[in-house]
Amino acid sequence: MCDHQVVKFSILVTGNPASSQSASSAYQFCSAALSAGHTINGVFFYLDGVLNANRLISPATDEVNLPSLWALLAEKHEFPLEVCVSASLRRGVINQQEAEQLGLLHHNVNSPFVLSGLGQLAELSASCDRLVQF
Amino acid sequence: MEKKIGIINRQAPHGKSHAREALDLTLALSAFNESLSIFFIGDGVYQLVAKHQADLILQKDFQPMLQMLDLYDVEQIYVCQMSLAIRNISVDDLVIKTTFLTPDEMTACLARQDQLLSF
Repeated sequence: MCDHQVVKFSILVTGNPASSQSASSAYQFCSAALSAGHTINGVFFYLDGVLNANRLISPATDEVNLPSLWALLAEKHEFPLEVCVSASLRRGVINQQEAEQLGLLHHNVNSPFVLSGLGQLAELSASCDRLVQF
Repeated sequence: MEKKIGIINRQAPHGKSHAREALDLTLALSAFNESLSIFFIGDGVYQLVAKHQADLILQKDFQPMLQMLDLYDVEQIYVCQMSLAIRNISVDDLVIKTTFLTPDEMTACLARQDQLLSF
């Protein structure tokens, strides 16, 4: 193994961005891995982790807005932010398409966050060198 | 070769949604991966104890879904023997057929997995 081997990481985030450090750590891990020349295959959000996709999250100005940080990082480095749709719907995390189907007036998920199924987690698990859960 | 994925269940069944959503995840992954193993450790063993009355506390009774594991060919189901003993849970109280492991065997079995997910 040479020193400069590039590792493909897939990331699973299961923590609420407002009440647990899980998602902040995951974000910092992704940033650090990318800075070191590794690649992020994609990030899958599950359990309370799906709350990271809520663009209505509005912390105080001296606090970190994790959803917007995720969006910036994912767009810059072109990796997907996959959010489990069934975990999302039961937590009120909804994109435009789901809102229309469910007859809801509002939605709170935008690109680059995508609502998808657990099949995407299987895909991310199969295609990476390392799967890291936060 | 297909990656061996281990899914570890450590939480009691209804206080948090981890148990139920980990089971959802297990059943979904089983469609894509035939090398799944599930582990029940610590309070996670309570997930297997029969006769939950989840509806009384406004929770979903997901225990019938445990029977689906067999249907989905998830056969490597491991339970920590010591966790059962500490909680005075008898093998007869469990709702599905499992393999019992000592802590040392559990450690070895976890080490054989390529990826671990913990809930």
